[in-house]
Amino acid sequence: MTDLSTLLKTPGASLEAEDDFDAVNELVHSRGWGDGLPVIPPTAERVERMLQYCDRPWDEPIAKIAPRHGDATPLRLAANAVMAGCRPEYFPLVTLAVEAMCEAPFNCYGIQATTHQCGVLILANGPVAKELDINAGHNAFGPGRQSNATIGRAVRFAQVNIGGAIPGLGDMSTFGSPGKYTYCAAENEDASPWEPLHVERGYPREASTVTVFAAEGPHNVNDHEALTGQGILKTMAGTIAIPGANNIYYDGDILVVFGPEHAATVARDGYSKADVRKYLFEHARLPLGKLSQENIERRLRVWPVFEGRFANAGLDALVPVAKRPEDIVVVVLGGAGKHSAYIPTFGASRSVTRPLKRRDGQLARSVGDFRRR
Amino acid sequence: MSRRVVLVVPEAPAPDVIAAVNERGIGKSGIRLGILDNAKSNADYLLSFIVEGVKAVLPVASVVSFKKPNASVPASSQVLDRLAQEADCVVSAMGD
Repeated sequence: MTDLSTLLKTPGASLEAEDDFDAVNELVHSRGWGDGLPVIPPTAERVERMLQYCDRPWDEPIAKIAPRHGDATPLRLAANAVMAGCRPEYFPLVTLAVEAMCEAPFNCYGIQATTHQCGVLILANGPVAKELDINAGHNAFGPGRQSNATIGRAVRFAQVNIGGAIPGLGDMSTFGSPGKYTYCAAENEDASPWEPLHVERGYPREASTVTVFAAEGPHNVNDHEALTGQGILKTMAGTIAIPGANNIYYDGDILVVFGPEHAATVARDGYSKADVRKYLFEHARLPLGKLSQENIERRLRVWPVFEGRFANAGLDALVPVAKRPEDIVVVVLGGAGKHSAYIPTFGASRSVTRPLKRRDGQLARSVGDFRRR
Repeated sequence: MSRRVVLVVPEAPAPDVIAAVNERGIGKSGIRLGILDNAKSNADYLLSFIVEGVKAVLPVASVVSFKKPNASVPASSQVLDRLAQEADCVVSAMGD
């Protein structure tokens, strides 16, 4: 394998700068490589330490990130991970999330360039989530843990610096979102009454995975009073049935996050995940008349996704937010409290789950499997 | 003199499109104009307006038009290949 000093001689791979934290930050921000917050200088030494958790050639692209279609090599990804503040052992999950993000069903090109506000939500499952101390409990979508904060930030840096998602140029989001700084959490498998997402998707429980979603921020679903699973699901369905989210117009995934207390009540009353999806598919609907007249005429009545069902429908016809029950992704996350969350998505996107595998194709048991000997 | 440090560049360069552009010659009969409608509302009106405007000031040999299935997905590689083959320049419009 080519060593780092040789790789850094490639034109454009490295540069010299003043060895000063503030000066490097000035340089990074002047080149548009950052997010406005201070970054850790991506020195050759730090990048090499990051790459100690990579079992592939450091110059071999693992993906091309749209819209620039830049080559995501481990070397470049490591520089971004260093800047984001990642510990080296996080690096296998950073590369895995980038790979997942670049799979066709995710529609990376659309997500990067859209006027919509979606960020890339990275959801970790399996033992590596605990190994890396990724928060699955209280405040899991908020600040507090280095892994949540920096893995998502590293992926965002890769979107910008390799994919060209530069605000106003390659990223045309009208508003952006706080989730574009970082958006990473783990499913709270210990508190879930159901099988975790990666098991649902065919991986063994001992596998570790990341799933990426093109996600808006979480919208809270407060129900402190419902004593039944049906009551909680009714509140959730009512929250999903809104006219302004992209999901009404598309047939991609939506994400439903149950807090552990709500999940326990729903499961106690006999609802499996499949039952939850069926209920929400049938009840998360809004009357056609809740949409603007122009949206009805120019989208609902004519777009192929609706298969003509609303071509001549009256204003009381019910429009499903999810087009099929299986489009509803259900996970359990968070700490105590009678809250859940609905996370609308870009709509024209499918969540993608990828397993953490070593270069020989075997499932990784630990991020230590990637460590160079 | 201050100490120096080697930084790894986190950025990927843009694909080399300049060379491809330089290879394009405009035929004597005029520009072969490509149109890519992004499927947003009113993009078709805007593109028609632009085509007529170009025709008013430049010789246009041909116009080839495509429309994305919806605004949220990229144009297919087949569409991009045809635009590359059949157009000297492409106008892609956003409506609304």
